Amino acid sequence: MTNDNQPYEDELQTEEIASPPGPDGSSSQYPPDGSDEAEQDFADEAVRQQFTQELDDLIDQVKSANPEYTPPPFSPQGLLALLKKNIEQFSPQMSLQLLEKLRTTIGEDLFDLDTWRGVWYVLNYSLESQADLFKRRLTGEYETDEWGYDQEVVDTVKPFFDFMYNKYWRVETSGLEHIPDEGRALLVVNHSGQLPWDGAMVGLAVLNEHPAQRLVRTLYADWFPSLPFLSTLFVKFGQTLANEENGIRLLEQDQLVAVYPEGYKGVGKLFKDRYRLARFGRGGFVRMALQTHSSVIPVSVVGAEETYISLAKSPAIARAIHFPYFPISPTWPWFGLLGFVPLPTKWYIDFGEPIAMDHYDPDAVENTMLVSQLADQVRNVIQEMIYKRLAERKSIFFG
Amino acid sequence: MTDKQVVLVTGVGGYWGRQVADRLLALASARQSEAYAHDFEAHVIGVDVEPPEAEIEGLDFIQADIRNPLLVELLRSEHVDVVCHLAFTESARPTENSFDINVMGTMKVLGACAEAGVHKVVLKSSTSVYGAKPTNPAFLTEDYPLNGSRTYGTTRDRVEIEAFCNGFRRQVPEMIQTILRFPGIVGPEVDTPMTRFLKQPWTPILLGFDPMMQVIHEQDVIEALIYAVIQDAPGVFNVAAEGILPLARLMALAGKFPVPVFHLFAYWGANLLDVTGVPVNRYLPIELDYIRYPWVADLTRMRQALGFIPHYTAEEVLREFVGQQRLRRYMPESAALAYDEERLRDTLERRRRARARQESRLGRDEEEHHDE
Repeated sequence: MTNDNQPYEDELQTEEIASPPGPDGSSSQYPPDGSDEAEQDFADEAVRQQFTQELDDLIDQVKSANPEYTPPPFSPQGLLALLKKNIEQFSPQMSLQLLEKLRTTIGEDLFDLDTWRGVWYVLNYSLESQADLFKRRLTGEYETDEWGYDQEVVDTVKPFFDFMYNKYWRVETSGLEHIPDEGRALLVVNHSGQLPWDGAMVGLAVLNEHPAQRLVRTLYADWFPSLPFLSTLFVKFGQTLANEENGIRLLEQDQLVAVYPEGYKGVGKLFKDRYRLARFGRGGFVRMALQTHSSVIPVSVVGAEETYISLAKSPAIARAIHFPYFPISPTWPWFGLLGFVPLPTKWYIDFGEPIAMDHYDPDAVENTMLVSQLADQVRNVIQEMIYKRLAERKSIFFG
Repeated sequence: MTDKQVVLVTGVGGYWGRQVADRLLALASARQSEAYAHDFEAHVIGVDVEPPEAEIEGLDFIQADIRNPLLVELLRSEHVDVVCHLAFTESARPTENSFDINVMGTMKVLGACAEAGVHKVVLKSSTSVYGAKPTNPAFLTEDYPLNGSRTYGTTRDRVEIEAFCNGFRRQVPEMIQTILRFPGIVGPEVDTPMTRFLKQPWTPILLGFDPMMQVIHEQDVIEALIYAVIQDAPGVFNVAAEGILPLARLMALAGKFPVPVFHLFAYWGANLLDVTGVPVNRYLPIELDYIRYPWVADLTRMRQALGFIPHYTAEEVLREFVGQQRLRRYMPESAALAYDEERLRDTLERRRRARARQESRLGRDEEEHHDE
């Protein structure tokens, strides 16, 4: 799924590479305090060589990633105009310093013309690709799949979630080898943490750390479609509403689907009930797996329970504002939006051994006894996985 | 198939009736041809309270109201084989008048058809009958319950008609009943809620909502109806163009800059208009729920059981629409020329696809013959 949109993925990569050499990137070379010492450093032959070398490498990278891109013809006037455009983003004081530095370096005849051509090339490229993205969104020249998955939106917000994943919660995973490189599978995950951060982190774990970088199609609860922004964002991330029709259709398309059978009961759990699994719905996920002969992969998330400390729930407020539950925590609702800031706990996401479902008869779907038994079995497996991880965990914040 | 069929089209004074009758006559007289209409010969009767504005060549027009009890006699004496029931009046609010024409009218037409032993009835409906609900699955199959909104007259009448047809199908199993459900219809000629929505000077959308949408080209609606008249395909079918688009992209392709409104304000505003007696659909041709929640229809049955594929993809439908709009506003030569190029490219692509489909169909037919 993720590799469908190859050409512009390349673009984005190059954009990332392209940004350092601009005036913003070179600010490390020109410290804003502008002491004479730094100037001396730069005049040093070795540093100059190194800088030129790095620029050349960058140009090569951009050229190899997108061979058909040709910048407008180089002219000193054009370059200055382009620099001006880019420099407007800085505070006047800073841009003045930058321009002064540039003047001195040109005066010193530091670079040959070819290097300037390179700078011209890279700046043009990054500007054009940004303008392109904006224009494409306004004229509708972008693609989504039939479920609404939108690669451009995902690429835009992914850095934030990557930060939460890598730096904030320092997610550690195990058992990713249980997820097949292709073909259908149903991830069954415990739900916790008041806000569905766990859904994002499980999806990110598979996308970032699994060799096949698969897109996880999370089925979300039916409260979200009525919320502005969240509903749209979820759809753009390739997720869809939790019901059996959607689940079966996705699995039949050989997708990787994630369900959180505990639903609101799980996510809205009180702090004192943490890591005790709630009822697993009505076993809808088992029927989905039986119907499509998908194996069930139990997944446990440890660490998400402590991101918010829900001390009590207020059913009256929840009813009044049409929320499925309304948690009261030490920070929420007393500190307003600050209450949304999660605690930086250490997370573990463990993927368990797949439980095969393809050896049951086709009419097993109708067998209520079997369905509820299987649901309980999966629930017990996940509960065991959680207990095992909790026993190993020494600290909530440091793992 | 070589027998001359008698096709009766109701509502022939309206846009759809006129277009369908015209195209049927063209196919019957072999002025135009189509793979599925091979050897099609027909006598086409048109019924309406008013004659069509422009005379349709070869049409046998009979001036009558469909609610007339003598309709049975007409069907009997003319030996009508197929009835294509297109008499429908759009209405903003659910009114008694529209209910009488649409729902009671359909009941009477279907009753008369069963009485007169008509072979087949074809009806045009809409995928809005499913209703736009937050709990909707991403793809609505034909057997999904009909929860369509009851505040707009048109949708309410369609839901009522379908509910009646559903029971009637069981009562009279010997009569073939084909219902085609179309999403928002877009095209250069037609006037539908969707085209009104896209033609408004400012088009509100709900802030933070971007549901997936479907459209279909007006020509494909006509084509699908005629396909159902000629080929026997009992049952209900969703018929929509290939390509499901987010609303924002649909509007961008149609050249519209959406004006986002916070959804609570939009609902309050709509209620306020309603209370003060202003027709809400003058400002909101599409109901708010229908631009908030998904109501995308599943097309598996259209592809497999019906065997009909619309010619236009969703993107082509919208590109053509916006091109025509631009031309009408009298654009400078260059823009018109650019649009002409776009249109020709799309036409070529469409024809290539149609040829490929026809060839694959011929290939399949030949194989079947070999098997025999």
